[in-house]
Amino acid sequence: MNPSMSEFAALLPLLLPATAACLLPIAALDRDQASQKWIRGAMFLITLLALGASFYYLTKLWSAGLQPTYGQLRMDRLAQFAGIFVTVCGSLAALQCWDHLHQEGFFKGETLSLLLFSVTGMMLFASTTNLLVMFLGLELLSLPLYALTATVRERPEAVEGGMKYFITGAVAAACFLMGSVLLYGLTGSLDLNGIGAQALAMTSASGAVDPLLLAGSALLLMGFLFKVSAAPFHQWTPDAYEGAPHPIAGFMSVATKGVAIIALLRAFPVALGQVPVLGAKAQAALAVLAALTMVVGNLTALSQNSVKRMLAYSSISHAGYLLLGFVAGTDRAYSAMLFYLVVYLAMNMGAFGLLTALGLVGDRTTYADLRGAGWKRPSLGIAAGLCFLSLAGIPPTGGFYGKYMLFKELIGTGHVALAILGVLASLVSVYYYLRVLVALFLEKPTERQERDDAERPAVEAPLAGATVLVCAVLVLAGGFVQGPLMDKFVQPAMESARAFLR
Amino acid sequence: MEGLVTGNLQGYLAVGFLLFVVGLCTVLVRRTLLMQFMGIELMLNAANIVLLAFARARGNDVQGTIFYLFIIGVAACEAAVGLALVIAFHRHRQTTDADRADLLKQ
Repeated sequence: MNPSMSEFAALLPLLLPATAACLLPIAALDRDQASQKWIRGAMFLITLLALGASFYYLTKLWSAGLQPTYGQLRMDRLAQFAGIFVTVCGSLAALQCWDHLHQEGFFKGETLSLLLFSVTGMMLFASTTNLLVMFLGLELLSLPLYALTATVRERPEAVEGGMKYFITGAVAAACFLMGSVLLYGLTGSLDLNGIGAQALAMTSASGAVDPLLLAGSALLLMGFLFKVSAAPFHQWTPDAYEGAPHPIAGFMSVATKGVAIIALLRAFPVALGQVPVLGAKAQAALAVLAALTMVVGNLTALSQNSVKRMLAYSSISHAGYLLLGFVAGTDRAYSAMLFYLVVYLAMNMGAFGLLTALGLVGDRTTYADLRGAGWKRPSLGIAAGLCFLSLAGIPPTGGFYGKYMLFKELIGTGHVALAILGVLASLVSVYYYLRVLVALFLEKPTERQERDDAERPAVEAPLAGATVLVCAVLVLAGGFVQGPLMDKFVQPAMESARAFLR
Repeated sequence: MEGLVTGNLQGYLAVGFLLFVVGLCTVLVRRTLLMQFMGIELMLNAANIVLLAFARARGNDVQGTIFYLFIIGVAACEAAVGLALVIAFHRHRQTTDADRADLLKQ
């Protein structure tokens, strides 16, 4: 049973990173990889080549307008959007990893292999509506991430963060599994669209919804929300991010959230939303959770001393803003959500990239450690400053336009109170993002810090610095040329999500 | 109780849900990492029982049976990663008590 050309075309974007991920451990067998720079270089090259090739192939598919399928794998526009999103994020993370792992003095090819497996899992997760394949994708993206969190295993914090992430993540995966099993048992179908259609046929007679259907959907939703790190399923986020290497924390916060949002988009409004009662209930639950997430994320972020923990809580609050798109529930709100995801990719990878570029390793990630760094390397400081301004939602950056579009749609659909809460929440967030800028540009380094710098000078991080610059350019592009970005990239993805129902 | 003996759908579902709740409680209540880990395995296997019960009730549906095989494989991978993490944790702390995992706090 050889796949035909078009089936192969659907598979190739996943096959490339997966093959490279299988190749890398062979290179990593060499015990001298710590001293042999060329082996490390080759491993990073393989990673970047695989991600680049996958990205190039996806853009080719996109511009040709092809939407191949292979069994349960649908490489439609939304999946291609997710693929491009994940490969870009993965490449930025890999580039930052090169610098960060050298700073930590811990370079293992397995790290890159795990990163590539995770990328494959993310693409799989976002490009199917079959619950079995979705579960496989979920596990393929999570299992490497648990290991990646604990990758610098000399640090006790890293292992602890990985452990906590594993326990909570495995529970969430088991809930997702139970939910999908219940939905399967009720309808006899594993395809989400089939489940939705079947459930609609079952409910239309009596008008009441089967409690098993409700329980199954709730468990499924919980699995997604855990990956998005929405409150009250957010407890793991700060610990996992603080333990993880900076680039991996950035990758986890951006890519996992992105594909979970995209898979949620396939599951809830589109497939299970066919049952009106279920759609309304999910929307109501998401409205409450989004509000809670914004409040909890922003208020807790205020009191953090570690920049990394602050960024973790900030990523929780951004999950809240993103979920607002589901609450509004219009096509334009979903487009705004996807647009905000693109901008979020740039600004968050930039923010985590700053930590790597400044060479802050271990527990040296407090605000005090950033003091005066902006003037030492002005271009890096300004680029990172743009990313933080965008996170705070200050015009003319992309973050402002993303939030503006989301809130506009919310008001348009009558959720004025939530929109006001969102605006208030982002006003609060300005405080802790500006604290970073103040530390970067307005405060002088302390004596202890200057002594530390003299004793252990930071390893040069040219690649991480470059990624921050790229991110800043993307953030500005989100602000100034959002029209073409919206029309060429986001809208087609959104339309395909709607189209595969009909 | 009769359901368990004759093996109809309700009996299997009851066992499955019970195991799921027991597993969840184990993760939440027990403070030993290995016990929490066993709780997770219990949850996965509870889902397996429910899945196979449904598949049988639907006339040995192939989809369900294949899903079951995949879940076993995934659970094995999860066990590998989880145990590796438990061992790494034990090397640092000389304990598998979850309450001792208190470095990351604010």
